[in-house]
Amino acid sequence: MLLNQFLLLAAVLFCLGVYGVITRKNGVMVLMSIEMILNAVNINLVAFGAFNGTPIGSVFALFVIAVAAAEVGIGLAIVLLIYRNKKSIDFSEVDILKG
Amino acid sequence: MNYDNDWFLSVLTFTPLVGALVMMLIPKADEAFHKAIALAVSGGLFLFGTFYLLTEFDFDNSGEMQFNFDTNWISVINSRYIVGIDGMALPLVLLTLLVVPLCVIYSWNHFPEPANPKAMLILILILETGMIGTFVAEDLILFFVFFEVVLLPMFFMIAVWGGPDRRYASLKFFLYTLFGSALMILAFLSLFFLAEDSAGNSLRTFDIQALTEWGGANLTRTAGLLIFGGMFMGFGIKVPMFPFHTWLPDAHTQAPTVGSVILAAVLLKLGTYGFIRIAIPILPQAAVVWAPWIGLLAVIGIIYGALGCLAQTDMKRLIAFSSVSHMGFVMLGIATLTTFGINAAVFGMVAHGLITGILFFVAGSVKDRYHTLEIKRLGGLLIQAPRMGWILGFATMASLGLPGLAGFWGEFPAILAAYNPANGVSETIFRTYMVIAAVGTVLAAGYLLWLLQRTAFGEPSEEFANDPEIVDANKFEYVAWAPMLVLIVVLGIFPNLIFKTSDAAVEKSLHPCLIAEGDDLAALDCPAVFDVEVAGG
Amino acid sequence: MDFSAALPVADVVAFNRPAIDWHAASPELILLGFGALLTLVDVIFLDRAKQYTAALAGIGLLVTMVPILTLANDMSETGPRVMFDGAYVIDEFSLIMKAIFILSGYVVILLSTNYIAEGDYWESEYYGLMLSAILGMVVMASSRDLISIFVAFELLSIPSYMLATWKKRSLESNEAGLKYYLMGVFASAIMLYGMSLLFGASGETILTKVNASLSSDPLTGESLSSSTPVLTLAVIFVIVGFAFKVSAAPFHNWAPDTYSGAPIPVTAFLAVASKIAGFVALVQLVFVGFYARADVFQPLMWILAAASMIIGNLIALRQTDIVRLMAYSGVAQAGFILAPLAVAGDVGDQALASIVSYLAIYAAMNLGAFAVILAAARKTGSTSIESMNGLFSYAPGLAVAMTIFMFALAGIPPLGGWFAKFQIFFAVVEQGGTWAIILGVLLAVNSVIALYYYASVARRIWADQAPDGDLTPIRIPPSLGAALVLTVVATLVFGFLPGAVSQFTDVGLIAGG
Repeated sequence: MLLNQFLLLAAVLFCLGVYGVITRKNGVMVLMSIEMILNAVNINLVAFGAFNGTPIGSVFALFVIAVAAAEVGIGLAIVLLIYRNKKSIDFSEVDILKG
Repeated sequence: MNYDNDWFLSVLTFTPLVGALVMMLIPKADEAFHKAIALAVSGGLFLFGTFYLLTEFDFDNSGEMQFNFDTNWISVINSRYIVGIDGMALPLVLLTLLVVPLCVIYSWNHFPEPANPKAMLILILILETGMIGTFVAEDLILFFVFFEVVLLPMFFMIAVWGGPDRRYASLKFFLYTLFGSALMILAFLSLFFLAEDSAGNSLRTFDIQALTEWGGANLTRTAGLLIFGGMFMGFGIKVPMFPFHTWLPDAHTQAPTVGSVILAAVLLKLGTYGFIRIAIPILPQAAVVWAPWIGLLAVIGIIYGALGCLAQTDMKRLIAFSSVSHMGFVMLGIATLTTFGINAAVFGMVAHGLITGILFFVAGSVKDRYHTLEIKRLGGLLIQAPRMGWILGFATMASLGLPGLAGFWGEFPAILAAYNPANGVSETIFRTYMVIAAVGTVLAAGYLLWLLQRTAFGEPSEEFANDPEIVDANKFEYVAWAPMLVLIVVLGIFPNLIFKTSDAAVEKSLHPCLIAEGDDLAALDCPAVFDVEVAGG
Repeated sequence: MDFSAALPVADVVAFNRPAIDWHAASPELILLGFGALLTLVDVIFLDRAKQYTAALAGIGLLVTMVPILTLANDMSETGPRVMFDGAYVIDEFSLIMKAIFILSGYVVILLSTNYIAEGDYWESEYYGLMLSAILGMVVMASSRDLISIFVAFELLSIPSYMLATWKKRSLESNEAGLKYYLMGVFASAIMLYGMSLLFGASGETILTKVNASLSSDPLTGESLSSSTPVLTLAVIFVIVGFAFKVSAAPFHNWAPDTYSGAPIPVTAFLAVASKIAGFVALVQLVFVGFYARADVFQPLMWILAAASMIIGNLIALRQTDIVRLMAYSGVAQAGFILAPLAVAGDVGDQALASIVSYLAIYAAMNLGAFAVILAAARKTGSTSIESMNGLFSYAPGLAVAMTIFMFALAGIPPLGGWFAKFQIFFAVVEQGGTWAIILGVLLAVNSVIALYYYASVARRIWADQAPDGDLTPIRIPPSLGAALVLTVVATLVFGFLPGAVSQFTDVGLIAGG
């Protein structure tokens, strides 16, 4: 059935995204990995929506896309701020709070 | 029954709190005013409360709850504000009413560092509310709240005004007690959910009287034992029973004099009172199973406390260990589950409160003068401060159980009661305990006389021989001590003052199967756990 | 498969304008209006408006309370108000939570007033963002639909990320914001993945319908005795997403760093309002969305609760910074609040009532504690635990307040926290199973461990010497004083009159719509 292929693709994207978030130290790469998870979600939503014959899936996906854009906007702003203060976007260097 | 006096116990409980609130609003600098308010509130409450209780309390019906007041409190969990007082609680409430103003008088002119009389007096008044509240609460949750209210003021009293090790001691006291009460509240909640009447309807109540009437019927043995175990932890740590006693010597040694007195005179009794008011009446069957173990820990406490005394070098610490030993006698009386034993325990609580109270007072005064409590540096108190020396001698005599003084009536009947414990409790075991406890009294005589000899008799040591600070008791000390000394004698000569009051209430609190004999017992159709076991049989 | 059916064709999906209950929606609309007004005022009057923004935001929140009160007043007659096919519900639960959000938001604004004005911060934007985060929370309390929960969640999170980074030049604040952002976004991505699976399994986003399809097989319509792996995975993902938000262990790592790096009022906001919003979402999901799947969420909640309590408390024991201490104690408190969810399938009403009471009391005492930390930091300029030493000697009022909050958090009667903890015990013991009793004992042991560090703070305040013997008193600005008075009074009232309070928090099971 066609649905399974979509779900499989989404699952692979999801796993890649999670892997990227955990291992990447570069700020922009982490943001991109998160985008990948969100896209996995979108694929899932659209595929399930089509499978169940309802437009809710697509509507949900639209919400996700809109909110993700806002999120990434904030994320880039924070990364920029850190770049300004530290001249680096390597997250492993942002580690002064401990205890 | 008199219905127009239901306000009385609430007034008794909350007046100190109101006094404390008023004091909070007055600036700290006005010390004399603070002292006056504290004395007026606690002293006035003592005079009024004692007068009212002695005149209005129906001594012919001392087994019944009196001055009852019952109203909605937390309806979601069906917890009610129920207060009442019977012959078992009356002596303890009177003791509390007496001790608090005496503490205020005693500390009148010498507040321990860092002085701040305002804060200390406020704490004492809050303590009074908590203590009276615990003795009159007739609802498990209300009891729990009052039981906990005393923790905070005591914690601060030790932590702020205590000795050099006060940080450790205060926290230890707090953590031990809280651990017990956390398990206790689990036990209370289990009772709430598991109590069912014979028709299988859930009682869902925290009312102590209703639960006593239910008496643990239809509860599985395991559930009963576990719930009793939870309460045992809560009350036993407070008493404190061996092996949970280790907080007590630390707390006593570090606490300021007044803190020690209140701790010894009243706070420890909250634990024993919990046993006779809640644990045993509500779960008599579990109590029978637990009794030998409680008795065992009690006699271990007696011997261990006594031996511990012999090893102490600090006077206050020695008195603290003697508390462990004396509370062991009280617990032994309770563990027999007989009217005789529990009456002895009630008497023992009051007697211990008065006697140990005065011992701590004297120890505090000695400390004020000598700036040390190390026994080997003291000596010759009778020469340097003869009256105080004699008071110390008198208190030690009372403490070791000299007949004719109050201490005797707490110990002797408790030992005697162990000869013949309640139905279902092994006589063999308890007669063994009786012998061990008797040995304990000899040890008590030993360490107390040793203490007296080392501190009061002999020549003053060189370092203090010409110390001008060492003077005899002053008038504040006399005023604070006199009522306790008089009561020790009066109760020693007329023990019936308490026994008569408490007897009916104690009898009512015990399950009939525990105390019935012969044909009466057969007629009751008791569960197997109450089967009589004869010594040697 | 035939994809054409899924494409929204005009004659298949005609747009019917849904009926809107304006009264029910008015709290959200008022908040939105004041948020927009703040922005406008800032744009038009520029710097001249600065001194009024805090007051305006506060007024906005207080005005929002009016329709909440009128709605509560009508509730007995109208019953729950349902909008958008059950996606948005105003019931007792949601009104209580909205009130808690708005009042704690108000206290946070009181805390912020002087802090933000005296520091080098952007003011108007700060309050605008604060209002929109509160709006997100208020929306969250009524959301009974996966999409609206998601949108509310983001509406409250995105401004919070910015607020955490508000000290622009400070690397600590940058790091706090970054960690919070990464964890938050990651959590919401995982939650979304879970939601997409839920949607796939049920074909619905409305929680009641999700629940219905979780309890029966979507193909045959028979009721399911055990869940399929996909459903289990979906439920776990969604719950884990919110576990990040409420800083439950093992998803708590961001909290201490974010709390200690962010501006203190924002920390208070995150530790209280934002966390409560996470719980509100969890409660709605559990009680409406997954209620049929107790076999899945109960063990999960049990593990989260136990782990949070133990890990939070043990790490809190060795903290040297009071804000980090509060962060770890917050992890432990989250464990307490999660505990009733581990028995929610069996004792629903009681579990819900206990959580609502806990959240209300938690808001009061935690905000109060942060208010004192903030006030003390005005003098000492530090948040190390040593800065609390001897507080009593130079600021007795603050000392008494902090003592009240610490022991309330520890759950010592007669201060507020005891009733909260008691209600949790009540729910857990009511269930009565072996696992519930073990959880009960864990709760008991953990309240003792927690007392250790709370009491240590109190002991420092009373028994220790002030650092450097500096006894100059602390000047407390009026707004901070007001916040302190409000929280102290609430903490005491919750403790002394739990009956009166539980009248409000004793809500029935949440209306699904």
